Amino acid sequence: MRIRQFGLLVAALGVCLLLLTLQTRGEGATAGQLVGFVTTPLQTVLTKVNRSAVGVWATYLDWKNVRAENHRLRAEVEERQVESLRARDVEAENGRLRRLLALRDRLPLATIAGEVIGREWGWARSLVVNRGRADNVLRMTPAIAPEGLVGRVVEVRSGASIVQLLTDPASTVSATVERTRTTGIVEGEPRGTTRFKYMARDGAAIQVGDLIVTSGLGGVFPKGIPIGRVRSIFDRGSALFHYATLTPVVDVARIEEVLLLTGQTPQDLVAHFSTDR
Amino acid sequence: MLALLIFGGGLAQTTFAPALRIGNVTPDIPLILVVLLALRRGPEVGCLSGFATGFLQDTAAGGFIGAQALTKTLIGFFIGQLGGRLWVREPLVQIPGLVLLSLAEGLARYLLLQVFHFPGAFGDLMLYIVLPQSIYNGFLGAVVVLTLTTAERLRGGMPWR
Repeated sequence: MRIRQFGLLVAALGVCLLLLTLQTRGEGATAGQLVGFVTTPLQTVLTKVNRSAVGVWATYLDWKNVRAENHRLRAEVEERQVESLRARDVEAENGRLRRLLALRDRLPLATIAGEVIGREWGWARSLVVNRGRADNVLRMTPAIAPEGLVGRVVEVRSGASIVQLLTDPASTVSATVERTRTTGIVEGEPRGTTRFKYMARDGAAIQVGDLIVTSGLGGVFPKGIPIGRVRSIFDRGSALFHYATLTPVVDVARIEEVLLLTGQTPQDLVAHFSTDR
Repeated sequence: MLALLIFGGGLAQTTFAPALRIGNVTPDIPLILVVLLALRRGPEVGCLSGFATGFLQDTAAGGFIGAQALTKTLIGFFIGQLGGRLWVREPLVQIPGLVLLSLAEGLARYLLLQVFHFPGAFGDLMLYIVLPQSIYNGFLGAVVVLTLTTAERLRGGMPWR
């Protein structure tokens, strides 16, 4: 057994040495060519198999990379969308603040800019503004926006104030039709709208689209702050008064910043607001 | 099956090994195959598989025909002789064992080729080819042995010695 093993070893080594010797004498080419005749086609086949396998693997890796890239790009797109929304939000805020500041500069009375930090949208309709006693805000201080009247402060806390909105059912504002100077009262309604009531029959010349502004009577609101535009008129025939429903000039649902009018002025302020329809 | 394995293993070096290249280093697949066969089947199969794979490797690569055949014959034979005394299931044995075997094979081939006036510089050959390939062989061989052992255990057959 052992002799056979060593015999095999010696034979193999002998063949190897013989081949090497033949090659050094320039006679190895034939042996190489003979073996190559058998091995070359097999090598070709194996290489093709290998290339196919590698190709499949490469395709799989590509697919995996594309998938990973797809995930990454999706995340990036989402991030960009959030950034874009933020930028749009900041831009909108910037625009609002600029308009508020422009109004503040135009108005001939002292004002404090405040940010809306809370809203009550139930039975009562109010805003919480981040200006309070520390900012010398007093009860009944009017709150306005660049478009017109928002409401009045009904409660002052140390760092915040509660602004009763025009649409609050308990809100009443002495108002006048800007074109005809017909006076009346603007009241909030439970469904969140406003109406102009106690309008004397003499003021029947009121039309849809007329601007209603504060009258300045009562000493709470300065004169000429836009409140809303007449949407429809209810003429109750022989009744002493009739009323009109209004579309408020300020969209109180979306308001983010207000100006609190801490000073008073006898001037008509309507010219300071943009009253385009 | 054995013949096919040896034949395929001999040609794998020029066909499949480049796909396993890491940097400029490719493993010596026929050497790993010879070692595994020698451990499993003893010195005769080790010797024959070493001769056959080495011979195919020589002819396929277009080098000195007989050089790798000779060194792999020796490796196959001696590993076949020692097989029963080696704890080849341990990765701590497999990796350094294959590294040393590969180094020995490289050294033996270099010495043999010196007889035939091979021009390569010893230091460069060892540093840039033999040593990196030996390390690669060590790790790849260990992976192959562990895979085979696990596969055989799962099949309930005899594990590698």
